[in-house]
Amino acid sequence: MFRSPFPLTAVALAAVALPAAAAAAPGPLQISSRVMVETRARAADGTTRLALAPARRVVPGDRVTVVLAYRNTGAQPLAGVTLDNPIPRGLVYRAPAPGSAAPAVSLDGRRYAALDQLRVALPGGGTRAALPDDVTHVRWRLDRPLTAGGGGEFAFQAVLH
Amino acid sequence: MFVKRALAVMLAGTGTLALATAAQAQSAASETTAGTSISNTASATYTVNGAPQTATSTTATFVVDRKVNFTVVTTQTGFTQVNLGQQDAVTTFRVTNLTNGVQDFLLDPDQQNISVGILPGTDNFDLTNLRAFVDSNNNGIYDPGVDTATWIDELAPDASVTVFIVGNVPNQAGAQLAFDSLHVTAAAGGSTAVKGTALVATDLNLGNADNTVDIVFADDDSDGLLYLGDVARNGQGRAYAGYQVVTTNVALSVMKSVRVLDDGVNTLNPKAIPGATLEYCLRVVNATLTTPADAVTLTDIVPTHTTYVPGSISIGTPGVLGIACVASGSPEDDDADDSGDSDGAIANYDAGTKTLTARLDRVAGGGSTAVSFKVKID
Repeated sequence: MFRSPFPLTAVALAAVALPAAAAAAPGPLQISSRVMVETRARAADGTTRLALAPARRVVPGDRVTVVLAYRNTGAQPLAGVTLDNPIPRGLVYRAPAPGSAAPAVSLDGRRYAALDQLRVALPGGGTRAALPDDVTHVRWRLDRPLTAGGGGEFAFQAVLH
Repeated sequence: MFVKRALAVMLAGTGTLALATAAQAQSAASETTAGTSISNTASATYTVNGAPQTATSTTATFVVDRKVNFTVVTTQTGFTQVNLGQQDAVTTFRVTNLTNGVQDFLLDPDQQNISVGILPGTDNFDLTNLRAFVDSNNNGIYDPGVDTATWIDELAPDASVTVFIVGNVPNQAGAQLAFDSLHVTAAAGGSTAVKGTALVATDLNLGNADNTVDIVFADDDSDGLLYLGDVARNGQGRAYAGYQVVTTNVALSVMKSVRVLDDGVNTLNPKAIPGATLEYCLRVVNATLTTPADAVTLTDIVPTHTTYVPGSISIGTPGVLGIACVASGSPEDDDADDSGDSDGAIANYDAGTKTLTARLDRVAGGGSTAVSFKVKID
């Protein structure tokens, strides 16, 4: 009787943890989304290093990095993998994160292109070049099939409005 | 393991930090409100052996924290000009909330006893009963009895409110300049008509729970590096103003007249003959409307060939010119001991030097006072 709570708790924890995983579980492609901030840490040699840490203290004007990590957990290669990330409300797209492939961006969630190829219609007629502020969606396409066990990361930078 | 390595690759090029400032020039009202939860979810499509599939990422969520920022400035140019003894003298300030959320603000009126250097001149007196009031009816003017709130309640992002510091100027000779400052502290908002407690910045070293609203102070050093009234990122602000006693002189004039009251012979038109009683009248006029003259002292030597009529000094409101010198005067005794005198006006007559001295308590701005006394022609 006394010993049972421990296993029970473990079961309960597993139950809590499962739904999040379950939502992404059906297919072999596992994607995790993280919002990170850059933090400065002092290294032993006296220099300042930048590191990414989970976004905990974020106020308007702060820059965050949204990281998508994907992995093929199945046995088959996955073809035509497309990752589509709508920019959350409150965040404003800035740029691809350093080291990440640049995404195709969209102003409406339908037409995707490089930012410099998109134009915004002006209320009074005419168009102007699209700015990072106008971006509502970002999308990455893998041009090669994702082999079994293969994976990677994409990331973009955004500012909290 | 894999994730970490990928992250290290991503961080290899960190030369693009300049991006950070792009979105910082924005107003507080357009900023995301503190407490807002922001979630990111990606979706994916792919094919397995030609069969289309979809996947959804895990959701990353964080809560927008409170970026406490506000400004406090004085809205007046130069010093408030005051007179000694003035009650409810006002200096005016403005507090603007730049926080991404509704805030209360605590107000603290301070004397600046040292000369702060921000303002020209040297502080040499203090006001009494210094208080701070919010301009409740928002008309920019201090209304006693109306503007009674002593703290700012529920100030919305980007909203501002006027705050008055109200104090009394002492009757202190030589008083010229008094500096004051409004010290403002950000306090918790959210409840109307409830005075919030002062905010405390969340400890940066604490592992914070992701789903709580941290408090981050982003206010600047409102009085500059040289002055210690405020420092950056402390959730407080301070602005300075001052009171100046500018008028140190008034347009005071004395008009002397004489008339014959009685000559012992003629009833209707008494003449200035020996034995006649004359009334001298000294009329003091303060032509400066805004400033009273205090402790006005008049001396007058009784002319030769006349004798002062003892106990004839009267001080009070002037009567109609040419008819009565003093309309409602109080008689003054002739001796120099005025300890029993309570009306403020005192006078005496020195028979040795034939000098009459009268000291008027106060001649109000734009007001006048008269002194009369009688002599007999020898």
